[in-house]
Amino acid sequence: MFSSFRIQRLPSSHPGIALAARLAAIVIALVVAGVGIALAGMNPFDLGARVITASFGSSFGMEDLGVLVIPLILTGLAVAVGQQVGAWNIGAEGQFYAGAFAASAVGLFVPGEGPLILILMFVAGLVGGAAWILIPTLARAYANVNELITTLLLNFVATLLVYYVATGPWRDRSGMANSATPPLSTSVPEFWGIVHWGFPIAIGLAILVGAALAFSRWGYEVRLVGSNPSAAKYAGIPVRKHLIMVMLLSGAIAGLAGMLEIAGTVHRLQGGISNNFGYLGIMVAVLARGSPIGVIFSGAFMALILNSGIVLQTQGLTTSVVLAITGFILFLTAIGDELSYYRITREKPEGAA
Amino acid sequence: MTEAEKSFTPPPGTAPIVQLKGIAKYFPGVIANEDVDLEVMPGEIHALLGENGAGKSTLMNILTGIYQADAGEIIIDGYRQEFASPVQAIAAGIGMVHQHFKLVQAFTVAENIHLGWDETPKRASKSVLESRTEDLAKRYNLATRPGATVSDLSTGEQQRVEILRVLARRARLLILDEPTAVLTPAEARELFRALRDFVAEGNAVIFISHKLDEVMEISDRVSILRGGRKIATRDTRNCNAHMLANLMVGREIVLADMRGRGPHAAPISKDPVLVLDDVCVASGTGGNALDQVNLKLHAGEILGIAGVAGNGQRELSQVLTGVKAASSGKVIVDGTHMKSANAKIFADFGIGHIPEDRLHSGLAPALSITTNAVMREYDQAPVSPHGIYNPRSATRLAREIAEAAEVMIPDYGMPVRNLSGGNQQRLVARREMRIADKVLVAAYPSRGLDVGAINTMLRYIVELRDAGAGVVLISEELEELLNLSDRIAVLYEGKVMGVVENDNLDIEEIGLLMGGRTKAGEVA
Amino acid sequence: MTSIRNLSRRGFLNMSAAAGSSLLLPSGMLTSAFAADPLPAIAEEDAVIGFGHVGPITDEGWTWSHHQGLLAVKEAYPNLKNILEVENVPYSADATRTYRQFVSEGANMIFDTSSTGDFLHQVVKRAPEVAFMECNGHNPDLPNLGWYYLAHWYPTYVLGVAAGHLSKTGKLGYVASFPVASVYASTNAFLMGARTVNPDATVQTIVINSWFDPQAATQAGTALIDNGCDFLFGIMDEAGYLQVAESRGVWAAMWNTDIRRYGPNAYVSSIIVDFKDFYVDQVGKRLAGTWAPNQTLLPMGGGVDRDVWGQNVPEEVGKAADEVREKIIGGWSPFVGELKDKDGNVRVEADQKMTEMELYNWDWSVEGVSGLEG
Repeated sequence: MFSSFRIQRLPSSHPGIALAARLAAIVIALVVAGVGIALAGMNPFDLGARVITASFGSSFGMEDLGVLVIPLILTGLAVAVGQQVGAWNIGAEGQFYAGAFAASAVGLFVPGEGPLILILMFVAGLVGGAAWILIPTLARAYANVNELITTLLLNFVATLLVYYVATGPWRDRSGMANSATPPLSTSVPEFWGIVHWGFPIAIGLAILVGAALAFSRWGYEVRLVGSNPSAAKYAGIPVRKHLIMVMLLSGAIAGLAGMLEIAGTVHRLQGGISNNFGYLGIMVAVLARGSPIGVIFSGAFMALILNSGIVLQTQGLTTSVVLAITGFILFLTAIGDELSYYRITREKPEGAA
Repeated sequence: MTEAEKSFTPPPGTAPIVQLKGIAKYFPGVIANEDVDLEVMPGEIHALLGENGAGKSTLMNILTGIYQADAGEIIIDGYRQEFASPVQAIAAGIGMVHQHFKLVQAFTVAENIHLGWDETPKRASKSVLESRTEDLAKRYNLATRPGATVSDLSTGEQQRVEILRVLARRARLLILDEPTAVLTPAEARELFRALRDFVAEGNAVIFISHKLDEVMEISDRVSILRGGRKIATRDTRNCNAHMLANLMVGREIVLADMRGRGPHAAPISKDPVLVLDDVCVASGTGGNALDQVNLKLHAGEILGIAGVAGNGQRELSQVLTGVKAASSGKVIVDGTHMKSANAKIFADFGIGHIPEDRLHSGLAPALSITTNAVMREYDQAPVSPHGIYNPRSATRLAREIAEAAEVMIPDYGMPVRNLSGGNQQRLVARREMRIADKVLVAAYPSRGLDVGAINTMLRYIVELRDAGAGVVLISEELEELLNLSDRIAVLYEGKVMGVVENDNLDIEEIGLLMGGRTKAGEVA
Repeated sequence: MTSIRNLSRRGFLNMSAAAGSSLLLPSGMLTSAFAADPLPAIAEEDAVIGFGHVGPITDEGWTWSHHQGLLAVKEAYPNLKNILEVENVPYSADATRTYRQFVSEGANMIFDTSSTGDFLHQVVKRAPEVAFMECNGHNPDLPNLGWYYLAHWYPTYVLGVAAGHLSKTGKLGYVASFPVASVYASTNAFLMGARTVNPDATVQTIVINSWFDPQAATQAGTALIDNGCDFLFGIMDEAGYLQVAESRGVWAAMWNTDIRRYGPNAYVSSIIVDFKDFYVDQVGKRLAGTWAPNQTLLPMGGGVDRDVWGQNVPEEVGKAADEVREKIIGGWSPFVGELKDKDGNVRVEADQKMTEMELYNWDWSVEGVSGLEG
């Protein structure tokens, strides 16, 4: 019999330790990045100060953050909602485009303007996103086809569809824009600088979904289905119905992100508008550990990082360096998260008899 | 026996292929094996008979080097051996085919045969591997398709590949763990033929089973394990099924009769509260997991379900609680014919369910204790008045359940998997008892629990019976069934072999029924 | 590197035009649309100039060419220390953030070297004190925004004449990025040039949805050759299909820069672009306080041209094409009706000359060009 150090994985991590691990990860990443920048002959403190003043020092920067955070919260929320029911929606990117596409169809071809059109666009965005995840949802619910693959593959279809209409049948023939549709008839109004009403909608929706999951019978059932479908079945909860409804909700939220980006920020449909928001949403959801409320904060964190990347680029860092730093921060954050589940113990090995 | 002419008689004085002497293995709080002696001679098929938990698997794991014995010795061909790992056991000519095959599903038969084998040529094309496999198959008379992918094979074919893999490594002793459980009768006959051929060359087979008939058919000798000890070794030709059944279950039954009822206990009702009428449940593989089951459960009684695990118990508890629909026949609850499976409706009727595998189906391990505790009442007041789920009320209810279950809980928000198995089981039991006004279906309620926890669990069940609920108690512990049940039904391959009153019960009869025989001797 | 021999004809023909109108004079330069107050002069050492590019400056193509312009500005104004440059600006709201950041850094003048449209205009509106120039832009009537581009259809027409001589099958292949105005003008001019030699010539187009995707361009090139094309042209920022042409033994013409080393035998010529003089001129005006928003199409010989003919191009072919080039520089326009679209509708009446704005905004294919319109 001897005693030894053992690394033990805990079933859950202490929130305080998790937060500390995350902060440590960010600090380490920044220090490493700083050393790298210094080696490249630039002053990391100067750059850091610039990042902070550019992001928070002016209403310009704050407004940009406010606009950037909208799609990140919503795509993150879409992924997080899917996780709640045990589904990995990797297709938020495609649903984003589908929502943008459907909303643009309304904005371009339904005559009139004003609140009625805006509501129609809103609904179209939701329906477009939900429609885009419909087939993966049914395939998962009835044939147990892994939604990871199906949702992912549909991303390419949606992206190309939007490229096609924006440069083909719907393209702007006025000569005012390249490879884009004409401006939509209606926009989501702005309420602070360039920040439009998508901002409170995104935060409100995250809170609403979080509250529904925590404080409703529906939420209880969804959590049970997501955590252990056998137990849900045992308790008489309609597993398939919940799976379908929640996956459609996930798609609808991603579609709404696309609608708001089109109607609030870009005002025309064109390829490339998603900026990978769908994929970044996966990261946002993972950083939030699947919590809808947490998505608000991780979405803001992600927006800050992305915005810092742009600031650093204007300072002469190349895209590759900025992407490397961004990736490094997220990578270490994920590791820190995982490490917070472990503790080192000193104990006797078990079963020595 | 048509293959009799092929049989191999070792010359006098031949050493046994394997000799075990005084093997013991202890796990914390459990004696898995103690003082086990076993001899397997060349040319024999040696059956190992015993109930679940009798120590068969542990003993074989020791023989194949997976576990190391705490006492005793292993003698192979007259030489003492110590196996630190399965590799050494294989080198000594001992190979085992487990109940769950260890094949790589995506690989071909030939690839599986050659995987991790030091005789595999360093560079070998597909065709070389396949022709080598073809040769091996011929040599051992085990027909396979070397080029086929394992996932495309039937279970019988997969088993042949497993056996071929073991034999290719020059095994002289082949251990088979419940090999016919996954086979059709035709496949089983084929297997028996191959085993006969194998031992005819001076090799030996250890055949683990609980099926009396096939033990009688295939084995030369039989050793019976019970409670971790070897009870007897007999020549099969001198045995009959009755004798074996008696040896298998005929231990001293610790009778702590809990069947007596107090003055305030509810009487057994005249009309049944739950009826299964010719119920069949299809299994995944085409057959019937439950086959024309007829059962009646009265309020205020405990109906025990005996039988070796895997004979339809899971499906029985599922069909009784609405988790699974019967493929034919009727499930009648309190006079109402339940036409579709809906666990919620069954629960609302007052049917509680302690499931077989609590972590897999009775609980959501990653969710909080509160969430798990309110699983049956989350949709009604006080937890969800007007559809609003109130976490505080939920925790209050969870606390109530935990207190009734006498489980100390530091934090109701922590995942339920952090609790010990016993505490999880108590919580599940208490949760289910709250709704089990009419019926409680308890599958293996004492599995994995220590003695104290088992007593608590059984006390709960008696308490519920006295309150007037009918209880279906599925168990593999005969004592438990005898101590609690008013009647005992025995399941064998999805059929109810018989229902016996628990008065002057003939234990031998239960043993026979569990082995697929009725008292009259006909095969089920 | 760039082999433009004919930059002597520098200087942009001026012409005035009402904002957004199409009354531009041929092969002209366009000028100040607004009589707005010019932005004040800035000392060279205080000035901040920003460049945003669509790709990496190492692309040997479009972005590299603009980067040469930036280097020329540096050389021309040695005290101008503060030049910001961002590569890979996406065509999304990120572009807005990038240009906004230029403004935050105090930029006095910003060049968007690949039109990002509304994304840029949002910043333009919020920064009236900053001068903006959008390459291939479309002026939305903002007083501090101009645009500039190349009259690339003229050298493309010249290449088309060469292709007409060189192609035996008369099937010309075109690797296109997106069905946008630049590509319509490019394919149409190419075919019109070729048809002066071979009236049966056609142009087959494959759209690959990218300006820079060597793999897709290679595949497209292969497919076009498999379809019988023996001359490849396109509008790519890399050499993918040139290498295909080299290995398959057909002709190829390129865009942006001289990259003949990737396929010396196949190389015919290239649409060579050169923004150096233009950027030096614009920055100079901004520093001096004389800059006003302008719409400029750099003419053939003044920012865009054909490259030196490839080593295997017969001398008489080069000569024949160059004669056409001289004619155009002399003021002749080949883009005169009657022109029909692919459905046979007359889109430009007989003897009607297309204006520069019509060429710039060309959004239909002439008869004989396939693959752009659904």
